[in-house]
Amino acid sequence: MSEENQAAAPQAEKPPYFSTFQLILLALMSALVVVAKIALRLPLQLPGHSGIFWMAVIIVGTGIVPKRGAASLIGLTSGILAGFLGLGDFGILNTFLSYAIIGIATELALLLLGSPEIIPAAMIAASLGHLAKFLVKWVFGIITGAPIGFVTAGLAISAVSYVIWGALGGLLGALTLKALRRAGFFAYLAEKK
Amino acid sequence: MSQKSRIILGIVIVIVILGIVLGVDQIQRRRLAAQIPELVPGSIPIYVDGILTAGFIPADLDELPDASFVDQEEGKTQEGWLLRDVLLLYLDSRNLEDSQITVSSSSREKSITLTWAQIENEANRVMFDLSGRGTLKLVSDGVEGLAVRDEWVQEVDKIEISQ
Repeated sequence: MSEENQAAAPQAEKPPYFSTFQLILLALMSALVVVAKIALRLPLQLPGHSGIFWMAVIIVGTGIVPKRGAASLIGLTSGILAGFLGLGDFGILNTFLSYAIIGIATELALLLLGSPEIIPAAMIAASLGHLAKFLVKWVFGIITGAPIGFVTAGLAISAVSYVIWGALGGLLGALTLKALRRAGFFAYLAEKK
Repeated sequence: MSQKSRIILGIVIVIVILGIVLGVDQIQRRRLAAQIPELVPGSIPIYVDGILTAGFIPADLDELPDASFVDQEEGKTQEGWLLRDVLLLYLDSRNLEDSQITVSSSSREKSITLTWAQIENEANRVMFDLSGRGTLKLVSDGVEGLAVRDEWVQEVDKIEISQ
């Protein structure tokens, strides 16, 4: 073997950032986000109430794949899935960005707040992630010249509702992570790496 | 930075974002009020034969009975107020007979023209549903041209009646 090949060999063996198993888990979480939106419905006429499901899924995803980029990857993948499935009333770009921003904003929030297993941190991170989705819809409205809210309090109620449902999703996600840890799921994951 | 400080900072960020959103919304409302003094900001103008006749204001919703139906596409409950009831708040039904009512959204570049008979028929459920961001969306339960999501008129900002 030449010297060049010997030098190149260690580079080729560098493990990928996400293992195949982790990517499968993240893809599963992305699919769950979309399925939660389609299949799990609460008979509540409150804006953003489905956030309780998908924010929980994203928080669980970042807990079981504790690497930077995990939440963003879930958001981007679920955005692509939701876009192709034609979810949302405002077109594919709006749908894609709405889902993608959830993951990206949750990721950024967790950089500040730390582990998603800490309940307050998970709740605030999920609130910020879910609020970012609301912001995408709101900014899209401003850019496209949408009329201002018909009901004065509508925007405030909607924004606060997104925060609350996001926080509840974060709580559900953090509790799920704690239950998974008690059940020994993380020891199982460590073996799979 | 301690965990407690991080959490407080997170809460502050949430509050700041909410403040910015509501602040910008208030600025938009004031700007609109300055442009159209006859209309309450956020209200939907109703034109009859091109003449501004009324502005449908949020307070009017309290007077209207609720209406709802479950859309067949996604199984979601659409809940709001019938367009028929909205129009009858301002106009006499005799003036609406044989008229064409166009509901439009300038931002979505969508509009639908319906007859009074279609709107008056309660079974058609031609109604406004309040969207998450507080704008009105015209939906219906099977009226031709307004039957599916793609045809619904989101972010309604004008109602025109031609007699």
